[in-house]
Amino acid sequence: MTTASTSTPARTGRGAGSPAPAVRLRAGLAHGSPALLSLVALVVIVALAAAIQPGILSVTGLSLMLMSAIPLAFAAQAQMIIMSVGDIDLGIGNLVGLITVIAATVLATEPLLGLLMLAGVLVVYALLGLIVQKRGVPSIIVTLGMSFVWLGIGLQLLPTPGGATPAWLSAIGSWRSTVVPPPLVFIALAALAGWWITRRSRIGTRMRALGSSAATLDKAGWSLTRTRIAAYVLAAVLILVSGLLLAAQTRSGDINSASNFTLTTIAAVILGGGTFSGGRALPLGTALGAVTLGLISVLLSLVALPSSMQAGAQGLIVLAVLAGRIVTERFSR
Amino acid sequence: MTTSTSTPAPAQNPPTLSTPAVEPRRGFHWPAWGWSLVGVLAVWLCIVAVRPAQPFDPLAQALSLAPFLVLVALGQMLVITLGPGNIDVSVGTVVSMASYVSVGVGAAAGPVVGILAAVGVGLAAGLVSAIAILLLRVPPIIATLATSLIVQSTTLLLADANRASAAAGLRTFVNAKVLGIPVMALLVVVVTAAVAFALARTRFGLSVLAVGQSPRAAERAGIRVWRVTEITYLVSGGLAGLAGGLLAAFISPSTVLGSSYMLDSVAVVVIGGTLISGGRAVPVGAWTGALFFVLLSGLLNLVGWSVGAQNILKGVLVVAVVVVSTAATGTGRSVLARLRDNLSISKKENTHG
Repeated sequence: MTTASTSTPARTGRGAGSPAPAVRLRAGLAHGSPALLSLVALVVIVALAAAIQPGILSVTGLSLMLMSAIPLAFAAQAQMIIMSVGDIDLGIGNLVGLITVIAATVLATEPLLGLLMLAGVLVVYALLGLIVQKRGVPSIIVTLGMSFVWLGIGLQLLPTPGGATPAWLSAIGSWRSTVVPPPLVFIALAALAGWWITRRSRIGTRMRALGSSAATLDKAGWSLTRTRIAAYVLAAVLILVSGLLLAAQTRSGDINSASNFTLTTIAAVILGGGTFSGGRALPLGTALGAVTLGLISVLLSLVALPSSMQAGAQGLIVLAVLAGRIVTERFSR
Repeated sequence: MTTSTSTPAPAQNPPTLSTPAVEPRRGFHWPAWGWSLVGVLAVWLCIVAVRPAQPFDPLAQALSLAPFLVLVALGQMLVITLGPGNIDVSVGTVVSMASYVSVGVGAAAGPVVGILAAVGVGLAAGLVSAIAILLLRVPPIIATLATSLIVQSTTLLLADANRASAAAGLRTFVNAKVLGIPVMALLVVVVTAAVAFALARTRFGLSVLAVGQSPRAAERAGIRVWRVTEITYLVSGGLAGLAGGLLAAFISPSTVLGSSYMLDSVAVVVIGGTLISGGRAVPVGAWTGALFFVLLSGLLNLVGWSVGAQNILKGVLVVAVVVVSTAATGTGRSVLARLRDNLSISKKENTHG
């Protein structure tokens, strides 16, 4: 399904029944090499952070360190679903911000209206999927337009950061455990949700088919429109979860709180081995990518880098990790 | 063939470069930037209806604000024309960085050197993107994102270092007017014409279009795709640097000076009729798109809409314009739609690899 068709070992092994373990390993390496890189980068970052501040290896330390990666992990899974059908969502950042705003204002004061608004987001995403499929307009530009709309609605509801989240939501955010770091549970849930949607369910198979070969999916008798709408709605559900969890952490609403998510989620999918061409969905890699990106900023604040230089360092690290892909590709060949 | 926006019937050329299923159109051919021009006129008429006193004032105002956006959008247009996946998300931060460079260097060595330095740092940012894309094989959206993060840090360092403001000479130049038309607008018209000429007549411009239509075919035809890609990102960075350098004198340097330019430039390019999937650039559309955006926010300020409401309308318009223009010109079609046509009518070529 998701063969990138770059590795020759996989092709030679196909004729002789089940390929040899070594061949499979090398093919898997060629496939998952970016995700592997992300894992290596992750381990390096945690090791560096632990060297500087040994306290982070405790449950509390890991909790604090991974906290900021939770909303990003869910949003990245959503971006992965959209990218698996060959589209890109440039509105995610502002939409997550808007959901924190809704959670901190309407959802707290008038729960029913708040839930209606959240359902409205799902309807809008269904319409976006419909427009992209039926009118053939590029998803980049439709979601770019929608990002203005989300920003506008957010500013209308709450011009300056503030508000208060409902008690049940804050309770989720303040859940602590001594056995396992809560963020790990949430991130695992995000990966599991992404995995179940894209790899386990039937609709996930159709979504990836839409991304890799729409004509084939059409000839097989499936509705392209329904498939794309399903992908958009499922992604929107994950975006809702991401926004609610972010609000649960900050206990307030801020339309700009997640504006960097738009590009960071794409970076997470790419770091995790995804592509822009569609047809590929790697939930575990995406989760690793999101955590790596979240941890980079934690590490940078640990090494006491001046705040003005943190963004640049983050950019260089992302480039370095992706550059490592060339090395592993050569190695696996 | 894809650039001749002003000539009435570009579709009469042999349709070898585009999809095989193009039917020859007769008579007047609606230009790709037509809808955005209609939008400009409609918004202008609305402004005049609200405040009929001086009908040409809003246009003059828009002409003094739009050129900066046009400069950035022209670079973005070239990048987008390179084909699917190509986008420069670093232009916003480059504008901010260049504003500080222009003022800082300008204070020491004169405004002209300052502007040149601003263009220089823009080119440098473009080079970083190009290296990441070509040597490290990072997808453009991530490569330019990384560049923008690096640029952002540089901007913050520069902002700490200097507190100068733009030279008086540059200020008067940027605000100067000839016969009521801002000099900046005339200057940017010249730049636009140069870009249009380059796209229609020069080897580089035609290569950009060819790469956008099919990188593989372009490579087979002997075009050095990496070279074209490199130059395009350099040009985009350079134009953003120029815009930032000039904007420093028009407004003043700030770390968030260019932040709106990233999304706006993409929106302007697409509203102007340039294909988001690449292969067709519409330089005139950068003007109509930018004027539309600037006039629209003028109108909304006039009728007292809040920033939030303005953003909502802006977003709805971007979506509506794209949907309408796709239906009207039949050109904004996705790769998918083209693929479907190819499969159903003839299995000759698949334009995107």
